[in-house]
Order: sequence, then structure tokens, then C-alpha cells
Amino acid sequence: MRKTLLLPLALACAPVLAADYVQQPGSTLAFAGKYQGEVFTGRFPAFTTRLAFDPARLDAARLDVAIPLAGATTGNADYDGELLGASFFDVAKFPQARFTATRFRALGGNRYAADGSLSLRGTSKPVTLEFTWTPGARPVLAGKATVSRLAFGVGGGDWADTALIPDAIAISTRVVFAPGK
Amino acid sequence: MPLKNSATRWGSVSMGLHWLVVALILLMAWIGLRMGGMPNGPDKIATYALHKSVGISILALAVLRLAWRAVAGAPGHVAGTPAWQARVATLAHLGLYALLLAIPLSGWVVNSSAGFPLQWFGLFNLPAIAGKDQGLHALAEQVHEWLFWTLVLVAVAHAAAAIHHHLFLRDDTLARMLPRGWLRVADKETPDA
Repeated sequence: MRKTLLLPLALACAPVLAADYVQQPGSTLAFAGKYQGEVFTGRFPAFTTRLAFDPARLDAARLDVAIPLAGATTGNADYDGELLGASFFDVAKFPQARFTATRFRALGGNRYAADGSLSLRGTSKPVTLEFTWTPGARPVLAGKATVSRLAFGVGGGDWADTALIPDAIAISTRVVFAPGK
Repeated sequence: MPLKNSATRWGSVSMGLHWLVVALILLMAWIGLRMGGMPNGPDKIATYALHKSVGISILALAVLRLAWRAVAGAPGHVAGTPAWQARVATLAHLGLYALLLAIPLSGWVVNSSAGFPLQWFGLFNLPAIAGKDQGLHALAEQVHEWLFWTLVLVAVAHAAAAIHHHLFLRDDTLARMLPRGWLRVADKETPDA
């Protein structure tokens, strides 16, 4: 008797009320910036995303993205050497970046914003991810954010010249999800 | 000083372009031979960017020189030049013009095949003229360097011939590429046009 009462209660109070999702193959996390006036793009192939999200329960939503940096690549070996080196990501010292968000806002329609925190190169700063949410059996989050590289010391010192590499780095992601277990 | 070239003298435009390109080539040789050994970093990038900007300028100036030459003509060989010398000189001039086009273009291929941007003095970007390709990059680098050393050979021969004409044949060959009065040609002042 007590069990039948407790079960619905336990379900209602389960730590993650919103649907729990894990990232599926075909997801991408990319970055883009400018170097000498020309756009370059890169990818973080090893990133993994966990998401709790229900448009009706934004207060319970939660996003956690782990971004191992060692595999980050622009497709240009000369750039990558610098990118992973001490002046930029310094992967030897800071092998992983992480973005977590627990504050979500509805922007109308299927658009949302996640006000989170990015930890990169030993620094944590607020970053907002704006995204669209396409529900379904395999829901898709497609989002964009802008990150100030200098706020995280990525390419500081001699590389801080924004005429060479502007401060703003555009992040874009498309994550395909499946319900988590 | 007339702008246009006459039958016996170079005009100020051709003269200015000639000596400007000479100065830029010397600057480029100095930068180009040193920059490869620089440690990676913004200084190296700035040096390469300067090399590229000056190289593109030389390419543009070479095109301009040829266009101007087509419009303004060129003085003939100095009177009394043996036919074989005239032919060799013409061949050298053709070679120099070709190298002034080919060296920057090969450098452009070096840059494009490496996938690097090409910016002219930070003001605007030029497109890639080749796809990203490591094999092509290595080849273009070699070609760029060999073309440069060819230019050194031909340019030294060209300059040596001009100096020889001035000092030993005492003709107007060198003086007519300089403003009037800068070089005195012994015994044979050219009459004013």
C-alpha cells in the first residue's frame, strides 16, 4: 500500500524531471574565427553532451557539454600546431573545456537560450547559448554562441592583436539526441 | 622630364617603376632569405605578411610596367650595339619581366596551397589561386626559390652589362634609365630631345 503511494511521488520527485537525453552520432561542435581577414573554421570532434530538457519545464533543464581539446582541428596542420600549443588551448595543461547551463529562457517559438558557464584554459566565464529545439524521437538542438577568446586567455600575449585574430569566436553546434537510459 | 619614353631615353614613369621594383626586390630578398628561420609567432607572421604584401605589389607593378611599355614604347638599343648583344639584352629583359610575374605568382601558389590567407598590407584579401595541397606546396616553394635565384643571376648580368656599357663602352645605356644629369656620359652628351 505504501509502495503504491510512494511510486508516483518518487517519480514526480525524480532528480531530473525533464526528459533526459544523450548525444548521438552525427552531432557537431564547431568554431569559427578570422585570421588575417580570412575566416577559418574548426571542429571539436570528441565533444559529448548530456541534456535534460522539456520546453514545459525549463526550470528543470540542464545542459552539460564536455569538450576534450586535444582533437580540436582547423584542418590546417600549421594552425593546429599553434591552436593546441601553449599560446592557445594549451592542451598539455588544460585538456578539456566544459560548458554547463542550468538557467534556460524561452525566446519564442522553438527558440531558447541557455545562460551557462564555460570553463576553458583554467577560466570560467558566463556564455549564452541560443538554440532551436526540434522535438521528436531524435530531437535536435541547433545552437550558436559567441566566445571572447581573450577572456579565456586563448592566444593572449603576443597573439592578443585583434587585427590579426579578432576576439570574437563563433561557436555553432548541432546535437542529435536520443533519450538517455 | 617627359613621362613617356622616347626613341633614346626612358621617361619618368618607366624609370620610376624600374627603380622602385629594384628597391622592392632587394627588400624582398632580404626579408625572404631571413624569414624562414624565424621562430613561429606573431613576428614571423608579420614578416611573412610583409613579404606577401610586397610580392603582390611587385606583381602589380610588373603588370603596370608592361602595360605602360605597351603604351609608351621603349627606346631602341643604343646606336652601335652589336646585333648579338642586342639580342642577348632583349632576351634578358624578357626574362626579367617573366620572372617579375612568375616569382610573385609562384609565391601566391605557395601561400594558397598551404591554405593561408593572402592580405595586402592588412587592407584587403586576395583569393587563393590554388587548392590546399601539400605536394603542390612543397613543389611551389622550390620553384619560388629557384626562380628567385634565376632572377639574381639575370639581374646581376643585366646590371653588370649596364655598368660595363657606362664605364667601358661609355654609352648612354645606364644614364638613360636615370634622370638627366645624374650620370655623366664621357664625351657623348646626348642632345636634348
